[in-house]
Amino acid sequence: MPHLDDAYSLARWLTGNATDAEDVVQDACLRALASLESAEVAHPRAWLMAITRNAAFTWLAKNRPRDLVLAGGAEDAEIYDGASPHCDEPSPESALIEAADRSSVEAAIAALPLPFREALVMREVNGLSYREIADATGAPIGTVMSRLARARALLIDRLGRGSL
Amino acid sequence: MSENEKQDRALLLQADFDQELDAAGAMKAERLLAGDAFARGDRERLDALRRTLRRHAAREAAPETLRTRLLAQMESSNGRGRIAADFRRPAPPSWRIYAGSIAATIVVTLGLQHLVEDLAAPDRFMSYVVAGHMRSQISGQPVDVASSDQHTVKPWLASKLPLAVTVVDLAAEGFPLVGARIDIVGATPVPTLVYKHREHLVSVAELQLRSVNYPEVPALRMIEGYPVVVWKEKHRTYAAISDLPPAELEAFVVAFRRAASKIESAPARN
Repeated sequence: MPHLDDAYSLARWLTGNATDAEDVVQDACLRALASLESAEVAHPRAWLMAITRNAAFTWLAKNRPRDLVLAGGAEDAEIYDGASPHCDEPSPESALIEAADRSSVEAAIAALPLPFREALVMREVNGLSYREIADATGAPIGTVMSRLARARALLIDRLGRGSL
Repeated sequence: MSENEKQDRALLLQADFDQELDAAGAMKAERLLAGDAFARGDRERLDALRRTLRRHAAREAAPETLRTRLLAQMESSNGRGRIAADFRRPAPPSWRIYAGSIAATIVVTLGLQHLVEDLAAPDRFMSYVVAGHMRSQISGQPVDVASSDQHTVKPWLASKLPLAVTVVDLAAEGFPLVGARIDIVGATPVPTLVYKHREHLVSVAELQLRSVNYPEVPALRMIEGYPVVVWKEKHRTYAAISDLPPAELEAFVVAFRRAASKIESAPARN
């Protein structure tokens, strides 16, 4: 089963924990298997990522509908704040960002609105290209880029302020 | 610098950081970085974030348990559709499941039996064809109408059965027409042509019965010690039987089919 680790990692960060990720991946693989018979797949990894992502959204809608409501709000935030926030406060020290421990990284990622989180995870965890992320999420490349920028800015902001 | 320009610049630098730029774009980003201390600070933070994520949010291998579960699932879904969809949370089997599966088994078995009977129809009907041929030999009266003239045999059959039977003369091939009789196959009267080869008789029954299991190309089999060849034409199904050696019966079938296809495709004459 190629790309299973990718699918699992994506599900792991979208749902926020390992047990739920297994359910999502299992569901995704069933869907993938079912659609394999009808379609030819040009980019298997991006294809499986898209299916996993959709399976994760279905799972979230069923088990944690509140997360998805937040996702709707995120699009507004995008329009309001633009791609990268330039606040008046001084930018955080990169040393602080690097000093962040595992639990604060987990919490910071979990706190990201879903569209930002999935763009960030696909890029930083799975190493997908902008084009692949756009294909998997169904968003235009420009949107992917600004979501990614927003996600990173939020993480830098949160992690750079230490344990505040 | 306008807000929009700022944004575009930030996205360009990010794309450079993600190595998504072509050479021209990368050069532009390089220049921006060289001339702007803020941009360099942003780049440093992006690098720091990436290192932190590598350390604490790396791509993980899927657990072995998940892998085995998926493999098992795929195997079972290959064979039995998606029945296995729900073994992620195995419930203790209850009597309901057993009762249900027994009922399902009964239904499936009955359905299958019916299906098998239908599929086995050729075999079921072949015994009638064989019996008809045997009886014709024992009684010493293999034909109801004795004529070597196809223009006698065909009208005779037409007067008995509402069918346009293809009658061919194979005397030139060494199988002179002897005549025809009507056999009962199942509960259906079917026209049977009789040909002679040396002292042997060949019966050719034209079957009206439908079954998916008739072979498209002539297939030889032995029934009760007789060679029987069954085949399907566009609108008819035939069974030829004889006490000839199988190879000679097959030669007969080849000749019969060739002559019959000539008649079927010929322009209207009689």
